[in-house]
Amino acid sequence: MGFTNRMIGRRAFGAGAAVAALGAALPRGASAQSGFPTRNFRVVIPTGQGGGADRLARAFDDAWSKLLGGRQFEYEFFPGAAGQVGYELYVNRRDPDAYNLLFGNMGPEMIMYALQRPRFRFPEDISYFCRTDIDDSAIFVKNDSPFRRVEDIVAEAKRRPLNVAVSRIPHPASIGMLALGEAQGARFNLIPYGGGSPTLVAVMNSEADIGALPVSGLTLQRGRLKVLGVFARENVLADLTENAPTINQVFGTRIPDLYSSRAWAIHTRAIERFSDRFQILEDTAKKVFDDPLFKESMEKVGQPAQTLRFGDRATCTEYALAMIELANRYRQQLSAQR
Amino acid sequence: MELDLATIADLFGRSFSLWWAIIPGIALGLAVGVLPGFSPQNTLIILLPVTLAMDVEAALAFMISLYCANHLSGGIPAILVNIPGSAGAAATCIDGYQMTKKGQAQQALMLSFIASVAGGLITSVAVLGVLPFLAELGLILRSVEMVVIILFGLTLIAVLAAKDMLKGLIGGAFGLMLGAIGTDQVYSTPRATFGFLELYDGLPLVPVLIGLFAISECLVMLEEKFGGGSKPATQQRPQWADTLDGIRLSLRYWWQIVWTAFLGLAIGVIPGAGAYIASFVAYQQSRLFSKTPEKYGTGFAPGVIAPESANNGVTSGTLVPTMAIGIPGGSTAAVMMIVLQYQGITLGPRLFQDSPNIAYGVFVMMTVAYIFMIPLILPMARYASKVVTVPVHVIVPLILGLTVIGAFADREYMFDMALALGFGVIGYIAVKTNYHVTSILIGVLLGPIFERYLLRSLRIGQGDIMVLFSSPIANALWVLLVISVVLPIWRERRLARRAAA
Repeated sequence: MGFTNRMIGRRAFGAGAAVAALGAALPRGASAQSGFPTRNFRVVIPTGQGGGADRLARAFDDAWSKLLGGRQFEYEFFPGAAGQVGYELYVNRRDPDAYNLLFGNMGPEMIMYALQRPRFRFPEDISYFCRTDIDDSAIFVKNDSPFRRVEDIVAEAKRRPLNVAVSRIPHPASIGMLALGEAQGARFNLIPYGGGSPTLVAVMNSEADIGALPVSGLTLQRGRLKVLGVFARENVLADLTENAPTINQVFGTRIPDLYSSRAWAIHTRAIERFSDRFQILEDTAKKVFDDPLFKESMEKVGQPAQTLRFGDRATCTEYALAMIELANRYRQQLSAQR
Repeated sequence: MELDLATIADLFGRSFSLWWAIIPGIALGLAVGVLPGFSPQNTLIILLPVTLAMDVEAALAFMISLYCANHLSGGIPAILVNIPGSAGAAATCIDGYQMTKKGQAQQALMLSFIASVAGGLITSVAVLGVLPFLAELGLILRSVEMVVIILFGLTLIAVLAAKDMLKGLIGGAFGLMLGAIGTDQVYSTPRATFGFLELYDGLPLVPVLIGLFAISECLVMLEEKFGGGSKPATQQRPQWADTLDGIRLSLRYWWQIVWTAFLGLAIGVIPGAGAYIASFVAYQQSRLFSKTPEKYGTGFAPGVIAPESANNGVTSGTLVPTMAIGIPGGSTAAVMMIVLQYQGITLGPRLFQDSPNIAYGVFVMMTVAYIFMIPLILPMARYASKVVTVPVHVIVPLILGLTVIGAFADREYMFDMALALGFGVIGYIAVKTNYHVTSILIGVLLGPIFERYLLRSLRIGQGDIMVLFSSPIANALWVLLVISVVLPIWRERRLARRAAA
């Protein structure tokens, strides 16, 4: 189920639903003729409806569907426990047949994996195979905040603990704040708001002194919020963030790049049992990045084109394992287990 | 863009021309709202291929009509068979079902419809006038203020417990305990889940609602029919005179409709605050300011009006942060955002310059949707009230079938069906032993969000509990809360003294 461009009016409205349903049922295109896929895909999203992953997955599948014989993507949402519910359900209760996929946010969800030790193994049970974006973590403030530079924040946090609004405690942006505090002797008090939107509101209404979130969502709030620094080697969204510097540039620290990264995942057993199917998925997913429709759809849902970066299975696995290692390093601060 | 009369007239004209999208939206919203387990956001997700293919204004008109009608119709089963169609209608059961038991189902339905339509109409028109101010209100009310607002709702447990304080408080505490199941609010660590994946996200509301209200009610109906229990009140044939009586009662309590609608609007503006908070707080406040609080819970008209009007006031409130700051006020608004973003519409302050037809049009469409509901829904009370005349051997299997499917439909877990049955037994035992199921439900509903805001506030205060008294607005709310708890006790004692004298 993806985005489409047709416009329908009054007369076509009644027919719209029927066409959508019928369209989903009919086999089309070259891939269908080669045997895979012969039916629609079911996708588990381990976050809520209308969230970032939902929007990006739909924007991606518009172009992907064309390469998969017009097969549609049907989404199921299982938020809860920082993604643990969706992942456990996907691994343990969905058939490993390459028709069942997961679209998740590798950074926070691999941190959850490291901290909660859920009932699945990575990468033995699940493998990411197509990264869609790199969304660097950033520190931001309200536009009229007294903090004008990231140095001001650190200076103040050395005097008193600063309240930092974050989406979740187990999140790359949270690790970034902890790493910065550790490197500079500053104290940051992380407050989880359970999602990007409430985190933005917490900074807008001055409930928290500062916030830390993936940068792309912040670019949509220019005028209300100001990005002061990013946890990355370079700020790829410099033009949208008033040339905010990188944290390492300012402080000479060596904090690793900390970013959210949405990716498609599949049962590892499906890769082994249906290697031909997986090959088609892998090849077609990569080709999506060449389709202008993909970039257009992504920009429509507020994801800047500069953040779109394909990553293959090896790249995804490397990143996910690095996140697990990082989470283990900060386990004490990130989890309730002392 | 200046919002002058010509612009408003133009927006109204355009919205009325979208009748072909509004009427199916209302019909679908009504159907979805009546069935527990079928939420507007899930329906909109299923219909995304259709709404994305529609012209953006038509798609919005369709989605908004569905959303508003859904909020309205949740009260119908709450009144007729004591089963709230959604959590927002749970407070409606308290007096609505009592009216049905007294043979006033039609009047109760009219009160619910008129309060819902009028509440929705008043607030959507008001939003047009004070949109910038309301957007700021959403930013003024923070976690500390939310702690107090939710406490208003929680004090309803004590109100319901008035007849038997110990049982009422046990019920409330049991609900709060159940509400604590799930992952913790700070570190996302599972607690009291007994290893069930299905409980990691907390106790699911729909099966709990279905179990406590629908299944337990079915068991009571069966007992009354076959077990020799007390016979239900005989139902008279629905008459138009009862519809008119419902209208008369609504007009009599017009002020209730107005102020509880604005209460709902104010709570709806806060991102993440659900309709059920508004309806419980409205019920509690309505009782507090009533000259006859003892009539609440016995089938009293304002007890139906307050939650229904507030519930529909929330609909306009939820869309304020969505439009004005680009942050969805709830999950249905988040789905609407997908459609708008895909059509290239950037939500937030610029929307009022870039696409005023959308920014203001949304609230005009909402007003128009409520206007359409008047002829579509008001005559329905007479026919809908016939449900209570359906024989038990027909209605019970029907309710059980639909609600157990509803329990499954929300998350598609078989576990939820079993959970609903389990809560059905709990609800039945509670009813038979004079525990108030609503007290349990309030704990389950409000407990988790109370914990969320309380822990957040305490973290903001870095462990200092005085943070709860750190804001002037919160302090004013604390004072009102204390008054709302103390006043009924003082009033009751004064009455008792007078009676003794």
